[in-house]
Order: sequence, then structure tokens, then C-alpha cells
Amino acid sequence: MGLIRSIFMTELLMGMKLVFKQMFKPYCTLQYPHVRHDIPDGYRGLMSLLRYEDGSERCVGCSLCEAACPSNCIKVVSDEVPGQPLVRYAREYYLDITRCVFCGFCTEACPVDALAMTKVYEASVFDRRDLMFDKRKLYELGEQHLADGKAYLIAHNMDDGTLFPKEGLGDNRYSFPPVDLGEGERPVTVGLTREALEMELSKQ
Amino acid sequence: MELGTTVLLAVIQIAVVMGVVLLSVAYMTYAERKVLSFMQDRLGPMEVGPWGLLQPIADGLKLFMKEDIIPSGANKIIFAVAPIICLIPALIGFAVVPYSEGFSLLGGTGGTITDLNVGLLYIFAFASVGAYGVILGGWASNSKYALLGGLRSGAQVISYELVIGLSIVGVLLLSESLSLRAITEHQDGGFWHWNLWVQPVAFVTYVIAAVAETNRLPFDMPEAESELVAGFFTEYSGMRFAFFFLAEYANMILVSCLASVLFLGGYEAPAEFLNFVPGFVWLALKTWALLFFFIWIRGTFPRVRFDQLMKFGWKVLIPVALVNILVTAVGVYIVNN
Repeated sequence: MGLIRSIFMTELLMGMKLVFKQMFKPYCTLQYPHVRHDIPDGYRGLMSLLRYEDGSERCVGCSLCEAACPSNCIKVVSDEVPGQPLVRYAREYYLDITRCVFCGFCTEACPVDALAMTKVYEASVFDRRDLMFDKRKLYELGEQHLADGKAYLIAHNMDDGTLFPKEGLGDNRYSFPPVDLGEGERPVTVGLTREALEMELSKQ
Repeated sequence: MELGTTVLLAVIQIAVVMGVVLLSVAYMTYAERKVLSFMQDRLGPMEVGPWGLLQPIADGLKLFMKEDIIPSGANKIIFAVAPIICLIPALIGFAVVPYSEGFSLLGGTGGTITDLNVGLLYIFAFASVGAYGVILGGWASNSKYALLGGLRSGAQVISYELVIGLSIVGVLLLSESLSLRAITEHQDGGFWHWNLWVQPVAFVTYVIAAVAETNRLPFDMPEAESELVAGFFTEYSGMRFAFFFLAEYANMILVSCLASVLFLGGYEAPAEFLNFVPGFVWLALKTWALLFFFIWIRGTFPRVRFDQLMKFGWKVLIPVALVNILVTAVGVYIVNN
């Protein structure tokens, strides 16, 4: 029986029959540049910085993202908002995508939901320096992919219903402690600790 | 007939046949990629032209514009000549393949470029020369992969040429001629007259040996890419690489043409009422069916080991082919007396 089977090559013919049938099954690949996968909302793509609805920057320059980043690819240069003493913002914000591991810890660390990850996964560039994202580039990304950023924050449970005024309740805007400056000139505060700042203020 | 018209007739037929063969080679690569893709649930080339139909042209242009690199340690003359030694025997065999019933053209007879009375011997003689191209190309590259590929190819082609030669002897006994036209005409009048039904064993051994002879999967030892990079043409690039590629596919088409002539009635229609369809259509259909079979086999089977390949050739195929000759010879003797 085994001899007859091997003479007529039945096993080989069975394999060929299977392959022939497979020819008429629909293809399961994607014609990639023309057709793309639907990216889930939780997808961790390129990082972006978000703005409030009124256009002001969410980031308060707290550097928590910098502290949370496991690959040390974030650099925040914090500063006061000109004309608004003690209201801080990120004067400069650098994110080295070549080192980023796309873990998303920075978005979780952010107290004001200023950081969100987009669905951009095609990060290739001709010049590696283009992957050193600065503040301008990050806000640009945030504007271009605002919907993705929001969806990301919602998918990762970082929206407590207060993130987006139109969809939720409030603005979740960080409220700075009221400070009575008294009268006089605005103090020089860059690089000062809180104690030093209060000492400076008490002198006036 | 004048000498001038003879030459003109030959040149016209050569031009037409070569054009068709080279076009077939180009689109064989396309068909192979497409059919393999469908077998693997993919789409294959889709970018160049509608459904990737212009892909062979793009590939050809790319290969011809690439740099022609000759390795520093290579034997330059043999390295340069080897692809041509490989390509010419593959193309030259088509000279004796009858593509249509004889028709009058320019006062001569068309249908074959030349109807040699030893057509089959001629094809096999040149097929053996093609093996030299592979071996020399592998040796002249001065690379271990190329050398091993060339050696394997030499061993494989010699063993399987024996099988091919032995499996066609049964057909020759039946048709009593080596001329491919005579063999085709012997199978005239419906598919039940084809040699396939009289010589099924020979057909099977011929097809298996043809797959091995043309270095195709599952017998693609000479270019086993997981072991030998690309085998004998590892060091080749650009146009010379294209020549090897052309030779491989032209060889495939040649052995398929030969199989359809020897076993499937060549240009003869499968039934009388289909005679209105021109002969070359039938030949092309049968050849492409066999080519599809080649791709199908490639899509199904994994590569065999080299010792398995040699064992199968020498211990299974050759004895089977010999027994087939014996049985056919006895049968023909009994029928004739």
C-alpha cells in the first residue's frame, strides 16, 4: 500500500492540490502606500504637544516628562511667561526621536495632558537632524494630529472628562497659585528656587 | 529556391521565434511572481503598469543599466564568456521546435526554422553545452559559493540529462524519428493519439528530470539561496546576471516546448473540430500549461537535499526510465510483428 502510494506520489499530489486551491483564496496583504491599516487609538506613534482650545500652550514646563523618560530623550527649558510672573511655560522643548522608545511614560507623567502620541509611524527622514524635534515641530504635529492626540489620551484613560470642553466638562487648565506681587517691578526669577523667590519678593 | 529567399525566410522566422521566446521569458518571470503570490495569498508586483504588467520591462531596464562588476580575483575572459555560453544553447534549441503545420512562405516552407532530422539530438547536444556556462561561470568567479554552485550544477545536470535522454527513447521507438516535426505528426488526430497515453511513465520521468535540469525548485541545488547565496551567479551583476536569468527561463520554456512536442502532440489540436485554431496557439497553450506546472511545483515543494537529489536521480529515475525503454521496445516489437 505504501509502495503504491509512493509510486503514484499521492502525498505530493495532495500537497499540490492544496496549493492549487490556495490560489483562489483572497489575498491577505495590504497594498501599503495606497492602502493603510486602521491604527487603533492607543497607538504610540510620534510625540506631539497640544494646545488649549483658545490656542495657548498646555505645557507648563514642569519637566515631569523629562524625569519620567527612561531613555533621557526629553529636554525641557522652563521659563516664566513674559508679563505673567510665576506662570511658567516651556521656553524650549527638545525631543530626540532617535532615542525615543515610544513607551508613552511622558504622556502619563504630564499633569496637564499637554503631551499626546499621534498615529504617525512613518518617521523616516533624509537627515537625522530632522528627528531632533523642537518645540515648534512638536506643536506643529499636535495641530496636525489633534484628533489623534485626543483619542490617544482618552484611550489611555488620561482624560477624566475634563480634558476637552466641547466633549467633556471643563478645561483642566492648571491653575497657578495667586501671588501678590505688590507694587513695583517684576522680579527676575529665572533660575531661582521658590525660597529664593519669596525672599526676593519679601525684600520688596 | 534561391539562396536569397532561403536566407530571408530563415531570418524572418528566427526574428519572429526569438521575439516570441524573449517576450515569453520576460512574462514568464512576471507570471511566476504573480502565480507564486496568489499561491501565498499575496498580490505580487502591482506598481509598474496596470496589475504590474510592465514589471518585466522595468526589471530588464534596471538590470541593463546596472554596473557590470568583475571580481578582482576572477578569470576575466571566462567570467565574461560564461553567461553567453549559458544563454546561446538555451535559445538555439528553438530552431528545431515546430511551432505550426508547414505553410508556404516566400516560396519556401515555414513552421520550423529548420527541420533537422536529428532535431532532438541537436537540442540535447546544445543543452549539455549550456552546463559548461554554469560550471565555468562558477569557477571563473573565484568565489566559494559560486564554485560550489557550479560543481553541484555540473553533477546535477549530467545525472538528469541521462534521465531526460532515457525517457525520450520510448517516444523515439514509437515515432521512429528524431525530427520533432515527424514526432508531432505521429501524434496527429485528437488528444487520444498523444504519446502521453502510451508513455505516461516516460512523461513523468521527463518532467521531473526537466525540473532538475533547469535548476528549478525543488531541485535548485546550484542556486540554493539559503546555502550558496545565489549559487554559480553569486558574483554576477547587471547584464551578465540578466543573461543567466534569461538562460534559465529560456531553458524552462525550451524543455516545456519539448515536452509538449514529445508527449502532448505539439502544435496538433486536441480534437479534429478544433483544427481551425492555428497550430502555434496549441503549442503555446501546452507550453504555458507546463510552465504553470513548473511554478506550481515551485510553490508546493521544499528543496531536497543534495544527496537525496542524486539518490533519486540515479537509483529511482534512471532504473524506471530503463525499464520503460525495455517495456516499450518489447511492446513495439510485438505490435510490429
